[in-house]
Amino acid sequence: MKLETHPDLQVELGALRLRVPTLMGSGCYGSGEEYAPFADLAEIGAVVLKSVTRLPRLGNPTPRLAVTPSGLLNAIGLQNPGIEHYLAHDVAKFASRPCAVVGSVAGFSVDDYAYVTQRLAVRDEIHAIELNISCPNVGSEGETFACDANLAEAATKAARAVTAKPLIVKLSPNVTDIAAIARVVEGAGADALAVINTVRGMAIDVDRREPRLGNAAGGLSGPAIRPIAVLAVWNVAAAVRIPIVGQGGIESARDALEFFLAGASAVSIGTGNFTDPRVPLNVTSGLRTYLAQRGAGSLREIVGTANPGFLGPA
Amino acid sequence: MRALATSPAIHETVVVDRRETLSGIVILGLYAPEIARLVRPGQYAMAVPPGGERAATALGVYEARDERISLMLAVVGVRTRELANLQVGAKLDLLAPLGNGFDLEALRDDVALVAGGVGLASMLLPAQHLTASGRRAHLYYGASTAEALVDESKFAELGIGVSVATDDGTRGYHGFVTELLERDGRAHDVLAACGPSPMLRAVGRIARLRGVRAQLALEETFACGVGACWGCVVAIDRSSPQAPRFPQASSAWDGHADAASASEYVYARICKEGPVFWSDELRW
Repeated sequence: MKLETHPDLQVELGALRLRVPTLMGSGCYGSGEEYAPFADLAEIGAVVLKSVTRLPRLGNPTPRLAVTPSGLLNAIGLQNPGIEHYLAHDVAKFASRPCAVVGSVAGFSVDDYAYVTQRLAVRDEIHAIELNISCPNVGSEGETFACDANLAEAATKAARAVTAKPLIVKLSPNVTDIAAIARVVEGAGADALAVINTVRGMAIDVDRREPRLGNAAGGLSGPAIRPIAVLAVWNVAAAVRIPIVGQGGIESARDALEFFLAGASAVSIGTGNFTDPRVPLNVTSGLRTYLAQRGAGSLREIVGTANPGFLGPA
Repeated sequence: MRALATSPAIHETVVVDRRETLSGIVILGLYAPEIARLVRPGQYAMAVPPGGERAATALGVYEARDERISLMLAVVGVRTRELANLQVGAKLDLLAPLGNGFDLEALRDDVALVAGGVGLASMLLPAQHLTASGRRAHLYYGASTAEALVDESKFAELGIGVSVATDDGTRGYHGFVTELLERDGRAHDVLAACGPSPMLRAVGRIARLRGVRAQLALEETFACGVGACWGCVVAIDRSSPQAPRFPQASSAWDGHADAASASEYVYARICKEGPVFWSDELRW
């Protein structure tokens, strides 16, 4: 398939260069092959793989999903076969993807992040690493890495120390001051920030008088959280100079534009694929139309232009 | 179930007919020649929400003939209401055909088909296949009330016996369809069922007591419907051909209290490895 090249939608996240600024959110796109019958993977920027941990995880009890107004609550529980099995059986298959492949690392200790990042990042099939730091630290009192500046810094430094590949750190919105966490993570060596992970939430079945998720609490995604995400990008873009991957409820080019105008250099689409697998391609074509109609030669020209505080990638 | 070689895609379909029962069940007839040609009994479609903003909805393919398929809907929430409101001429995009359907080879000479509510939608294609290949079948069909029983005649036309049950006793047996199946006492070689989880569990129990096997088409909330998100899982024996390859649990099993039981089962995706499973391989 012939790719349009104008207006220019290229983006660089550290050394990771993408032809189009769309990443498919971790946990939402499998390894890409699940969506290959429904979307041309050559027309997306990157697939962010499902998170992998040091040891196998069965995942959470069911139900793992609850549909809520304009949103989706999930508590999958990082079901994955663990890094050893993953390296031996899964990673080689990613070489055939016609888009960039970003590995996602989750952990329950600083050492987990270092170990799994090091093992995964050496593989040629993996072009960049995203750190999923929205996990509890079992070594202390279980506070979430992403919600504590010191833990976020430690996890980022640990991963940074073991790979030179582009490192994206995914921030949680479940904090008082996301910009402060962003600054610390930038200082710890992240090449880019993913803003935001899901918003913590719960739904209760009033007939059965119990939470609708097997895990009780879950992460909310979808259009319901888009305004939360746009504000988080806005605040982070005024705090750091590294590029931001904006995400939260994007289903159209106009949704994505809110993030670009707030200061995101790229966007990630997760739950939007569940609504319609054509969303990523619609976003790309809609961005080209928007830019062309305004005489812009590249997406870069409009990034952050709605945000007076935008510092911009250096 | 054996994995089907299937070629799913996004299909742009058009509503060509629409039927609504007194109880509010809607049957949408769609012009969908490719799906009609490809779909196997027990497979399903994901309906892209016409208004966006919410995950697509999984629906069993009810009828498939020539260039038309149909979907059966009970309105249970916003997503199904939006679909049920579609009128003739409206467009509806479907991801289809999806999932592994019934293992028809394993449905031997005399099959009990058990349907609860709109689970009936996943029973007509198997019934057609069974009668066309000269096998015998009997339909046990339950619903909340008489008005919610639809289209038994389509099964009777195939020469299939039909026994019905209603929760309120307004028609047929007064009680659950699984009680009806139990009391009926007819010997069947194998069971095939689709309906709510409690009904399917009961079908599994009946099969075990009778020493026969049951294929269950599970109903669950899907997010992606294509195997990407691991949201719609069910616990299944590691030894099942449908179990995803997964390393054996160790004593260091992370975040799981019961390492011993963890080693007995893994979670399989209902949308991908299913939606049809052998009841004796499920651990639910």
